[in-house]
Amino acid sequence: MATKAYDKSFREEVYQNVDSGEDVKLCMQCGVCGITCPLRGEMTHGPRQLWSLIRAGKREEVMNSPDIMLCTSCYSCKVRCPRGVKVIDVMHGLAHYALEQGIVPRKETAKFGKAFWDSIYKTGRVDETEVPMRYTMMAGPIHGIFNMLEMMDIGRALLAHKRMKFKIGPGLPPSKKIRGMKGLKKMLDKAKSMSPGKEG
Amino acid sequence: MDKNQACYLCKGCGLGEALDFENLEEVLGEAGISEVKTHDALCSPEGVALIQGDVDGGVNAMLIGACSSRVKNDEFNFGSEVIVERASLREQVLYCSEAEYEGEEEAGEDRQMLAADYLRMSAVKLTKSNVPVPFQLELEPETALLVVGGGVAGINAALAGAKTGVQVYLVEKEAALGGFLGKMAKLAPETPPYQELEDTGLTELVAQVEADDKIKVYTGTTVDKTEGAPGNFTITLSGGDSFRCGAIVQATGWLPYEPEKLAEELAYGSNPGIITNVDMEAKAKAGDLGGLNGVAFIQCAGSRDQNHLPYCSAVCCTVSLKQAMMVKEANPEAAVYVIYKDIRTPGQSEEVYREAQRKGVVFIRRDEDYPKISESGGKLAIETMDMTLNDTVEIDELDMVVLATGLKPNNPKVVDAPLVALGMDQEAAKKLAAESKAQCDDWSVLNLQYRQGPNLPTLKYAYPDSHFICFPYETRRTGIYAAGTVRRPMRVSQAVEDATGAALKAIQAAHAAAEGVAVHPRSGDMSFPEFAMQRCTQCKRCTEECPFGAINEDEKANPLPNPTRCRRCGVCMGACPERIISFKNYSVDMIGSMIKSIDVPEEDEEKPRVIVLACENDALPAIDMAARKGHKWSPYIRFIPVRCLGSVNLVWIADALSSGIDGVMLFGCRHGEDYQCHFIKGSELANVRMSKISETLDRLVLESDRVRVEEISFNEVDRVPEIIAEFMETIEEVGPNPYKGF
Repeated sequence: MATKAYDKSFREEVYQNVDSGEDVKLCMQCGVCGITCPLRGEMTHGPRQLWSLIRAGKREEVMNSPDIMLCTSCYSCKVRCPRGVKVIDVMHGLAHYALEQGIVPRKETAKFGKAFWDSIYKTGRVDETEVPMRYTMMAGPIHGIFNMLEMMDIGRALLAHKRMKFKIGPGLPPSKKIRGMKGLKKMLDKAKSMSPGKEG
Repeated sequence: MDKNQACYLCKGCGLGEALDFENLEEVLGEAGISEVKTHDALCSPEGVALIQGDVDGGVNAMLIGACSSRVKNDEFNFGSEVIVERASLREQVLYCSEAEYEGEEEAGEDRQMLAADYLRMSAVKLTKSNVPVPFQLELEPETALLVVGGGVAGINAALAGAKTGVQVYLVEKEAALGGFLGKMAKLAPETPPYQELEDTGLTELVAQVEADDKIKVYTGTTVDKTEGAPGNFTITLSGGDSFRCGAIVQATGWLPYEPEKLAEELAYGSNPGIITNVDMEAKAKAGDLGGLNGVAFIQCAGSRDQNHLPYCSAVCCTVSLKQAMMVKEANPEAAVYVIYKDIRTPGQSEEVYREAQRKGVVFIRRDEDYPKISESGGKLAIETMDMTLNDTVEIDELDMVVLATGLKPNNPKVVDAPLVALGMDQEAAKKLAAESKAQCDDWSVLNLQYRQGPNLPTLKYAYPDSHFICFPYETRRTGIYAAGTVRRPMRVSQAVEDATGAALKAIQAAHAAAEGVAVHPRSGDMSFPEFAMQRCTQCKRCTEECPFGAINEDEKANPLPNPTRCRRCGVCMGACPERIISFKNYSVDMIGSMIKSIDVPEEDEEKPRVIVLACENDALPAIDMAARKGHKWSPYIRFIPVRCLGSVNLVWIADALSSGIDGVMLFGCRHGEDYQCHFIKGSELANVRMSKISETLDRLVLESDRVRVEEISFNEVDRVPEIIAEFMETIEEVGPNPYKGF
């Protein structure tokens, strides 16, 4: 099947707008990033093929690829890339750029990101009880409760080891804020204003 | 020369405990060497002093029974007037045999017999050896250098030669110096940080040549005739000029692969927008790269393709990177694609690849099939497989498609039979040789007045190489060296290096010719083949089989040797059915007598004897290393080193079998396409000759299993004992040689 012709507009777009986007030019398609990735089994394309798609101008495929939000920032690929492509930066850059365009390539990641951000923005810390609760509840109250029941064993173990505080629901009781929360908020607002994207 | 012989036996490295030295002294006495001395460590300063004292006292021929002839050469060197013969008691007796064997009448007798035989053989060799007298040319040896080809390699070879002070003649076919360098717009980055295209630097090179009074330049000239031999070539040019020179560098460069042959695959000729990299370079040189918005380069256009050039031309990738960068420099907005199979950027050119990527050139990996080029709306479009997307993709809106075609050597293709490149298939070899000869009957670069033809023999792709890994620049005609792209595809900086290497090699060859010694691979060897002409039957075997065309012929087919062309392999000696060719220290009679000196026990003793004629370049080191590694093998084996398997005369096999020796093995190097032979076809010739030995064996009513040729590479150490064990089994099956005791 002959696909659409090579289109230079998308690659130029990526080179200019995505964090470290110009690195994509340097990829020599060796595939070390893809094979290094601990999530290679989960990825549909992997970084190497994504770069190829970018150069070929396959906008839809790249922007909707869940891979750009699957990256766990383990840094293995970035360390190993013989061309010095900042793979993680480009992956996150792409995710960021997609969200900016109103595209959500992977809903779960976006939701988790929101829960994470909210926790930090409100209390200045990542609360081990609060974040998973909020994340699971995002699927709706019924699903949320089922999801939480599934995780009960882990939760119990965490409680027993005092790794987690008991809560009956998100914000019940509310998490303790850090000292100097006002200052942190200012910093986060400033950072947000510098980047055009949304949280995630 | 009166020979004053002596023998020195070493008791070091465990030899003293392992062998009965009184018995060895007796053996030597019987062999005619009465003066025998032993020492606990012959290679120690005291041991060497002992020998030196005797040399000062008049000993001029000595047998040293110690370690292998491949080691301790500095210690046992007493000047060119003293013959030193080494018997390898350590490697070939002590290390490879057991102290005792089952069924011995007297414990340790097999090992003792082994040592005794090596000493007998060496004693015979010593008795028959003479001090070589270097060959002297009749005329005063000439050291001037002829450089054919005035491109970047030729110019640099001339400059390198002139720098050493020799007279250089630089001959260029075109009206001006420069070759292809003169047609190039820019060079790909060659210096760190490998980001800027560089000037060719031709103007300065030509200026240097013109300013050098040691270099005489002939432009618009070709070589009409090359006569003579290293140290005494006589060159006649197309302009009528004639001069003598000592050695030649051929730097005739390359020819582009004919793009017309790609009309079918890549639509060459169907559209003016489809051009080759050579055309592209011309456009760049003319400053004609403006207005290009879409350009695609197709790599391996007719390269690495069995229907076109089967090899990689090594430079096309870098050239395309350079040209892509040129397009990007002229118009940074241009869409530039490189469609490749593999990007091959040797050395630091990887940086050039990166730079081209940084400039935004897009690389697409294709499969073996050529992309399809079509026309649409006045522009070109390409449909190709994109291997990384695993999908067929289209690239359209292209103004130009550049085919990265490869390099062919600017040298006529000459494949001589038996053909190294084709191994044992003699018929195919002869056919190919005839075909290639027909293709270049009227084409010669040097017009050599050699019995074996006017051109340098080549490998199958017409590169005039002789031994790619060990001896670069060397052609199969001594004193003639190839440099630059005529030798193998390479870029400018490599050609510069090549030119210097070849020029220095050529100067070395001229000097070796003047001194009457071999230049390589037997550097410094003063012996050379001598012909007892009164017994010659004009069979032409020597003139035909010499791998280096050293022997010419007169009109009555008498061989006319040119010792300065000779590399001392002894292939002529192995070829001669009348056995009239011999060296001062290597002859048919000598090895034959060594074989006959082996003590062959009676049949009822059940101690067979097998001799192994081993190539001293590959097999002998492998044997030595195997012994040092602790491998053991049958004590009935006797190794005899030969200069090259090609020097093995069939009479030795007959000598061995008729004196009761049960089997003969030949250990040579690898032949065929990836040959390892230092003398190109020695190993191959041996194989061809041995395939015809059944006749001799039939005459003797002997089984053909008794003779075997084996290939052993330098590194196949562990195969040595295996091969020997297997052959000994065969010999046991075949039974004892019926000629024993005759």
